Amino acid sequence: MKRIWTMWSRELAAYFFSPMAYVVMIFFLVVMGFSFWLLATVLSQGVRGGPVMNELFASIFFWLTILITIPVITMRLFAEEKRAGTLETLLTAPVRDSEVVLAKYLGALSFYVVLWLPTVTYIAVMKLFEPPGTPIDLGPMVSGYAGALLVGALYLSAGLFTSSLTGNQIVAAIGCFAICCVSFLGGFLPYLVHSGPVREVATYLSSVMYMMDASRGVVDTRGIVFHLSGIVLMLFLTVKVLESRRVV
Amino acid sequence: MIKVENLAKAFPGTLAVDDVSFEVRAGEIVGFLGPNGAGKTTTMRILCGYLAPTSGLVEVAGHDVLRDSRSARRNIGYLPENCPLYPEMRVDDYLFFRGRLKGLSGRHCRQRLSDVKELCGLQGMGHRIIGNLSKGYRQRVGLADALIADPPLLILDEPTIGLDPNQIREVRALIRGLAQQHTVLLSTHILPEVEVTCQRVLIIHCGRIVAADTTRSLIERVSFPRMLVEVQADAGELKDRLLGLSAVKGVEIEPVGHWLRVRIEGHGGMDMRPELWRFLREAGWEVREFYSEKSTLEEVFSSLTEGGKAEPAAVETAI
Repeated sequence: MKRIWTMWSRELAAYFFSPMAYVVMIFFLVVMGFSFWLLATVLSQGVRGGPVMNELFASIFFWLTILITIPVITMRLFAEEKRAGTLETLLTAPVRDSEVVLAKYLGALSFYVVLWLPTVTYIAVMKLFEPPGTPIDLGPMVSGYAGALLVGALYLSAGLFTSSLTGNQIVAAIGCFAICCVSFLGGFLPYLVHSGPVREVATYLSSVMYMMDASRGVVDTRGIVFHLSGIVLMLFLTVKVLESRRVV
Repeated sequence: MIKVENLAKAFPGTLAVDDVSFEVRAGEIVGFLGPNGAGKTTTMRILCGYLAPTSGLVEVAGHDVLRDSRSARRNIGYLPENCPLYPEMRVDDYLFFRGRLKGLSGRHCRQRLSDVKELCGLQGMGHRIIGNLSKGYRQRVGLADALIADPPLLILDEPTIGLDPNQIREVRALIRGLAQQHTVLLSTHILPEVEVTCQRVLIIHCGRIVAADTTRSLIERVSFPRMLVEVQADAGELKDRLLGLSAVKGVEIEPVGHWLRVRIEGHGGMDMRPELWRFLREAGWEVREFYSEKSTLEEVFSSLTEGGKAEPAAVETAI
């Protein structure tokens, strides 16, 4: 546990030592700020029946930022260490491979949380300007944040996995982008296929539909199970990739 | 401290290490020599648990590196080739991170940090960013990292590569100083380094150990005794009488002004110096030079590692 903590803090600090972190943060906040402006515009047009939080958590802008920032966050995790040779110093210290994987994953996840933190002010702003008589419903916000965390966590684990496969950050980023795109675009299958097992399966596996639900305040446990098991699978595969260097 | 039996490591298409066996006892400084691509780095990586052997037994401090890898690794301070470090970190932060990773408590780690910085000549460098350091200082940081948990065994892969002559001397002195409390296995292809630093040498070539002996006896074993003498005498008479000596195999004479420079080759395994000296004294000639040319480790090395099968390409593993 102490070792995971040690490696986690180095991983997180490493983000802030590189200009990449600040570029990602600026991009993220610009796009999310624009989403919030859209949300505020919708709200200013008066009370309306449908859900509104999908402007923040299920719009094309949300997905755009996720699909672009996550590969950038994860690409260096293993690829950079392999290129520089520091993976050798890291793995010849008395640490378990699984501890290294977990620490790196938690480091990336923490940075992702840091990305989202400033957006909590949006809620404060909305609460401040809430019209009398129609209070803002906090439920969809909480479930929206939880959903963004869960979907982000799954995509980050995919990025960690692709980063462990290569010593080239660009290849790692494109690999992660490809996996996330397949998941994102596949998420529209239930809209295209109206019946049959394809629709059924795609509904279970759709991160897009999960976020649509979450931004309405619906927490679907099937989606939670899918995303968590996806994370476990990706972390497991990453550990196996690391161990493979010891295989004959 | 290290026990390797019938170690083999195959990579797709090459056999990097082929049936290697050796032992390193506690307190020894052992040089691991070989041309590029001979299998030095691969062997060291296996010792440190970074790669797994294809077959064979490897034990470090009594722990099997495959089954009991972390216990084995706890006993090793490893400096990999080219000394990889995190360039964005500061020296103190990096060494503290490494110490904690190797299981030191916070307080103990801070104590060791100042100790190893002093040992490696890094005082006052603690706040420098590693990426801005010169190659020599980076090498010292790597060495300090290997030392921080005070492991009984140090495995150093080319510790003096890329250093200037002064730094090389300093690192050698440091390694010799460490030998009192540590066992050291260091690889290099700089031969004078081994001659001055190591007590024992392992020479590896094409994945096989071709020699394992003390530095001195290795030199003597392969040496061809040669003497250089300068005398004032008649060339023809000198040559005849020299060839009459039992220890002498060949004579070459070259006039230098009034003097004759004589190169005398003896039979291997025989010391011809006493007989030669007696002969010169009895002949009553003027002698101004009496010098025995020793063979160097370099000659030993090239006699052992030249030829053989084609040089396998340097093995850079995929991970």
